[in-house]
Amino acid sequence: MATASETTLVSAPAEGATKWWTRFLDPSERTLAVLLLLPAAFLLALIIVYPVGRLVWTSFQNLSLTSGLPATFAGLENYALMLDDPVFWETTWNTILITLITVPGALVVGMILALMANLPFETKWPTRLSLLIPWALPLSFAGLIFAWFFHSEYGVVNDVLRRLGFEGVIWFNSANWAFAAICLTIVWKTSSFMALIILAGLQTIPRSLYEAAEVDGAGRIRQFFEITLPLLKPAIVVALIFRTITALQTFDIPYTMTRGGPGTSTATLAMYIHQNTVDFLDLGYGSALAVVMFLLSMGVTVVYLRMIRAKG
Amino acid sequence: MSSVSFRRLEKSYGSLRIVKGIDLEIADREFVVLVGPSGCGKSTTLRMLAGLESISGGEIRIGEKVVNKLPPRERDIAMVFQDYALYPHKTVYENMAFSLKVRGVAADEIKARITQAAEMLGIGQLLERRPSQLSGGQRQRVAMGRAIVRRPQVFLFDEPLSNLDAKLRGQVRTEIKRLHQAIGTTIIYVTHDQVEAMTLADRIVILKGGEIEQVGTPDEVYNSPASIFVGGFIGSPAMNFAKGVVQSGEIVFDGGEHLPLHRNGAGKANGLEGREVVVGIRPEHFVSAGEGQPLSGRVQVVEPLGSDTLIHFALGSATLTARVAPEMRPQPGEILSIGVDPSRIHLFDAATERALN
Ligand SMILES: Nc1ncnc2c1ncn2[C@@H]1O[C@H](COP(=O)(O)OP(=O)(O)OP(=O)(O)O)[C@@H](O)[C@H]1O
Ligand SMILES: [Mg+2]
Repeated sequence: MATASETTLVSAPAEGATKWWTRFLDPSERTLAVLLLLPAAFLLALIIVYPVGRLVWTSFQNLSLTSGLPATFAGLENYALMLDDPVFWETTWNTILITLITVPGALVVGMILALMANLPFETKWPTRLSLLIPWALPLSFAGLIFAWFFHSEYGVVNDVLRRLGFEGVIWFNSANWAFAAICLTIVWKTSSFMALIILAGLQTIPRSLYEAAEVDGAGRIRQFFEITLPLLKPAIVVALIFRTITALQTFDIPYTMTRGGPGTSTATLAMYIHQNTVDFLDLGYGSALAVVMFLLSMGVTVVYLRMIRAKG
Repeated sequence: MSSVSFRRLEKSYGSLRIVKGIDLEIADREFVVLVGPSGCGKSTTLRMLAGLESISGGEIRIGEKVVNKLPPRERDIAMVFQDYALYPHKTVYENMAFSLKVRGVAADEIKARITQAAEMLGIGQLLERRPSQLSGGQRQRVAMGRAIVRRPQVFLFDEPLSNLDAKLRGQVRTEIKRLHQAIGTTIIYVTHDQVEAMTLADRIVILKGGEIEQVGTPDEVYNSPASIFVGGFIGSPAMNFAKGVVQSGEIVFDGGEHLPLHRNGAGKANGLEGREVVVGIRPEHFVSAGEGQPLSGRVQVVEPLGSDTLIHFALGSATLTARVAPEMRPQPGEILSIGVDPSRIHLFDAATERALN
């Protein structure tokens, strides 16, 4: 109702003739509009349009600093190269696998943490602080810390395993164990971010809904599935968008924990881009890889946004 | 359907006592309204009955069963919340069906009950909408529908009309009364609006500071208020109060005006000689100067209401309000001569503020 009356208020004076584009045709208003939009448009161009455009342009070029300048136009050569590059496929697959494992993993762990943090404790700061710390920690720190946790000789994980009577695992010698260690670390590091967003969502659900449900006869579990979960959907989708995009760009944790090893078995697409551009100085190929990652992120975002819109 | 009883019911938050020992027996099918100023513990009492708040002391029974320790879902009550608490992601139908589904009622039975309740409340055409697509009054009706389909022992209402505009409030109030006449279930209704209390209740419970000030039918609390607080709380415009002293069978006000004290026989007056009293006169109990006992005072403000006129005038240091016939339009500053029906004067002890009867 509020929006309806506001709309009438705004459009009332000129009877519909005040659509923004008609005002835009009025020269005096147009100058002002352009002036007002200019700074934002300039900033947007500077930090998004130009870098992305430059990236796409470079991906069509032969630009390797080791084989000398100037760059030559290469057309789709870099992309064709990718199709035959087993490392590209392996790192892309690893990236997707990490995304598929750690995003739902962080969602579940984050949900549990958020529900715990939302319990009516007298003092709330210990739980809230312990949620914030993993989130505030730089990714590479988390990688280094967990690299020590999983260290075969001195690591706490193997120590616990041995005390429990199991044999220690040489985590970073096996592709599968290394991958598992990385996924665990990423889930630990990122679930607090999920938890923070979900906690914010939880706090928007009115208490009286739970009271109504309780009077209606619903138990705790039923309340979770019938009230909490459906009302959290918007918060969860937002958290998933952010988390999925950063998962597709996973770099720091595997880089600090395994350097992609053994071999390239735990390397991600972002690490491969880094290797090509920074280590091999092949900017053309690196850019083409980056374009693929960009498209992957865009694709995921579009899918999620569709999901939100479908929910209305 | 069921009776409800509170025995020495108490609620404290830490050392803060909110509800200080309430004793109340509510009969089966009775419509009881808890009324009182903000913060007096009405909601707390209702929520203890619903099981949404723990009980610090005393006992609550629904029917014969002590429910102190039972969770809300085992108390067989239904509640209409002040903000309605409709499930925003469920349709009206699903909102009403939820409690029945939880209790495992068969789908066709659910459908039958919802259809019946929706018809009774006139919300049949809204069943597929979500709460966000409803007006305030419609939401209110859906909230009642959700309670009705349950067929509980007791209905609880916590200020259900406070989010509606004045006109709608009157309309829904009538509907609630009709609803009670139709289904007859025991209703406990919380409000701070004395008009709602007077119009709806079989019995009114007036709370003040976590204690019962008076319990009685609307007529009883209107005609024989037990204290200055009740006298001032029930009735609109509020009852007038003026301090006076009893001297030889008359109440003498500080400005020198006096009223004879022959209410309920002269015998009573004897014990009051020399006592400080507070006289309560309802604005609607003033009569024209020729009738009743004469009083006079200087007119301060005149408020014509169309149906009648409110005259505010000074009586000693007090300002009284009289509701008189619309033709009567004295000018401010004039000396007003008016009569009082002596049988409708209320006397309160100035020290204890309780009625002297
Ligand atoms: N959790 C709590 N802790 C401490 N005091 C509380 C708590 N909940 C309520 N109170 C106090 O209890 C008193 C009674 O509250 P209650 O909600 O029952 O008032 P009410 O009569 O319903 O008032 P209103 O008409 O404003 O709804 C208030 O003074 C309130 O401040
Ligand atoms: Mg209240």
